[in-house]
Amino acid sequence: MHELFLVQALLVQLKELCEEHGRSKVSMVTVSIGKESCVVPDSFAFLFDAVKAEEECATGALLRIEEGEGRDLILLRVELEEADRSV
Amino acid sequence: MCDSCGCGGAERLVVEVNRSVLDENRRVAQGNRRMLREMGAVALNLMSSPGAGKTTLLERTIAALKDRYRIGVIEGDVETERDAQRIRAQGVPVVQLTTGGACHLSAALVHKGLHGLKGIGEGVYDLVFIENVGNLVCPAAFDLGEDVKVALLSVPEGSDKPAKYPALFREASLFIITKVDLLEHFDFSLDEAERLARGINPDVEILRLSAVSGEGVGSWLEYVAGLAEGRRGIRP
Ligand SMILES: Nc1nc2c(ncn2[C@@H]2O[C@H](COP(=O)(O)OP(=O)(O)OP(=O)(O)O)[C@@H](O)[C@H]2O)c(=O)[nH]1
Ligand SMILES: [Mg+2]
Repeated sequence: MHELFLVQALLVQLKELCEEHGRSKVSMVTVSIGKESCVVPDSFAFLFDAVKAEEECATGALLRIEEGEGRDLILLRVELEEADRSV
Repeated sequence: MCDSCGCGGAERLVVEVNRSVLDENRRVAQGNRRMLREMGAVALNLMSSPGAGKTTLLERTIAALKDRYRIGVIEGDVETERDAQRIRAQGVPVVQLTTGGACHLSAALVHKGLHGLKGIGEGVYDLVFIENVGNLVCPAAFDLGEDVKVALLSVPEGSDKPAKYPALFREASLFIITKVDLLEHFDFSLDEAERLARGINPDVEILRLSAVSGEGVGSWLEYVAGLAEGRRGIRP
């Protein structure tokens, strides 16, 4: 069950990427979960959806998971958008 | 979004990141490493399933070495101060970290623990022992900034465990088979456990001991003393 720690680490990365690129919304996140990472993709996806609202920029983010090699969990790419300025 | 076709237009930006989600943990772990250097300490991260004998071995180690080396202990548990109390009774500085549910220590938690140790007495140590949360899977994934990862496996758990839980045994520089006083009561095969561990991690050092009978504890104390005196090459 270390998926929660990893999801929270990912959320911090998402926030930093938004700041770095001057965007306020993440619409899509693609991660690669290594086969030997001991991370269960379903648990990771479940927890991501459960806690993503903790980071405002990620509230509406969709998660795509690819199976990778090795032990690492890698943030491959993000799709960023401007926040809805009408709000 | 673009009003005419919904393509997202110039407002949508795709960033290729290709960065490990564990990078932040690694960064903090490097900070811990620097902090340990400044304190002059060598740090060992003890990992095993619950009850393999981490705290018992630490109690014995501290009793034997506390007059020769300045020892500090960081205790990681899901809940409670129980292990810290056992270590405190040995008369050395100890900081209890509770993870509040998580099954492993992270570099950031250990960083707090190191600050805690620095704040006790003179804050100078030769050896820092980090007892990880009892779990055979998760702790292995997290660099804490330690110098040596130690995997412990007790005789009652069975000798097939290095094959079933390879992550920990792959990461460890030292593999300790504990509770060897119980060998006659279990079908544990020392040969099998060692062969499986070496199959995953050919360079791993292996010790066998019992913290109850004292058998094999001398080699462990020698190993630890070697680290404290910088005689043993530390794997990066
Ligand atoms: N027979 C025998 N029992 C041992 C030995 N070492 C520890 N024990 C017993 O095993 C039980 C668990 O020991 P602990 O030292 O608390 O184990 P631990 O790994 O610290 O446990 P957690 O912190 O809960 O993960 C205790 O009842 C110890 O007395 C040993 O060498 N031989
Ligand atoms: Mg313990």
